[in-house]
Amino acid sequence: MNVLVLYAHPVETSYNAELHRLIVERLSAGGHTVDDCDLYAEDFDPRLTREERLIYQQEGDNTESVREYVERLRQAEALVLSFPVWNYGYPAILKGFFDRVFLPGVSFHLVDGKARPMLHNVRKVVAVTTYGGSRLRAWLMGDPPRKIVGRLMRSTVKPGAGYAYLAHYKMNLSTDATRAAFTEKVRRTMDAF
Amino acid sequence: MRFLVVYCHPVPESFGAAVRDTALQTINARGDEARLIDLYAERFDPVMSADERRNYNDGPPTEPDLVSHIEHLKWAEAILFVYPTWWYGLPAMLKGWFDRVWARDVAFTLGEGGRINPLMTHIQKLGIITTCGAPWWLLFLMGQPGRKTIMRGLRPLCAKGCRTMFLAHYLMDVSTAATREAFLEKVRRKVTAF
Repeated sequence: MNVLVLYAHPVETSYNAELHRLIVERLSAGGHTVDDCDLYAEDFDPRLTREERLIYQQEGDNTESVREYVERLRQAEALVLSFPVWNYGYPAILKGFFDRVFLPGVSFHLVDGKARPMLHNVRKVVAVTTYGGSRLRAWLMGDPPRKIVGRLMRSTVKPGAGYAYLAHYKMNLSTDATRAAFTEKVRRTMDAF
Repeated sequence: MRFLVVYCHPVPESFGAAVRDTALQTINARGDEARLIDLYAERFDPVMSADERRNYNDGPPTEPDLVSHIEHLKWAEAILFVYPTWWYGLPAMLKGWFDRVWARDVAFTLGEGGRINPLMTHIQKLGIITTCGAPWWLLFLMGQPGRKTIMRGLRPLCAKGCRTMFLAHYLMDVSTAATREAFLEKVRRKVTAF
């Protein structure tokens, strides 16, 4: 499968960086074609601009400024999101990827003001993430990233697409053992991709 | 009361700007003080850098572009957020403002066992005024990530019993002059009473 990996963490020595390297390595070893999109390394600007906002609904023209990313998204048969949860949400650099690249005419059509999902080239979505706090705390906060991936992303891609949300909670209290167990879980998921 | 208005929209001539101005005028009419942060106008960078992340757990951030923002946060007793809802959530610009400004040892400290101790207890009111393309029930179905990031994520860092206000103009793409004017009137009424 063509797998687009969207990765969002600034620090190369972080645990997220380790997970990201593992994801790319295992998917490649499994025979998948990996497009590794490291948003920090590519210096992606997550700020939707005035010009982009003004032509947001003009399908075709609206992709001009992010053509390369739109093309990569259209090539993808699977999406892997690799990111830390900050303040109960995506890092801004990843949120901005959705704002700027998941456009009308790319991931959905706007018909009479209603969004019709159309990212049907994607038939699998996997998120690999870390939370500072516990799952209970995230749940109390409404766990926005889990819902955005589980509900919104899934409703945008091909109906019935494969889905997994792998999260290491309580990173602030994590140990070598908890991280090793999670790494193993990620490895298994990528090997079975 | 000291109101901080945090405004995030890329288009100066947008309806969001009208909402911002209405909110500011209403705060002034109440006889309260207002300050405005216009994230796009000042070209705020929402991307937390590698160094900033590396030092995140060692004390408050020292990046020069955050100084005035942290000062505004300490000054405020109430915050009003004015932004468009994109992908059911906050624009990346605003999300990054939280990540970078509401940082550890600015907005909270981390205690024993990962316990969060709030530092924004001088903030007694949090308000959101937003515009959405989608209808309200679709936002509800998606779990209202934008609203919850602020009302559940940030509110516990503020004063106990911090009051909240949430105003949304849904279905923006099929809005009319009449629905928009009615919404501005609602903003006037609600901000006056907030």
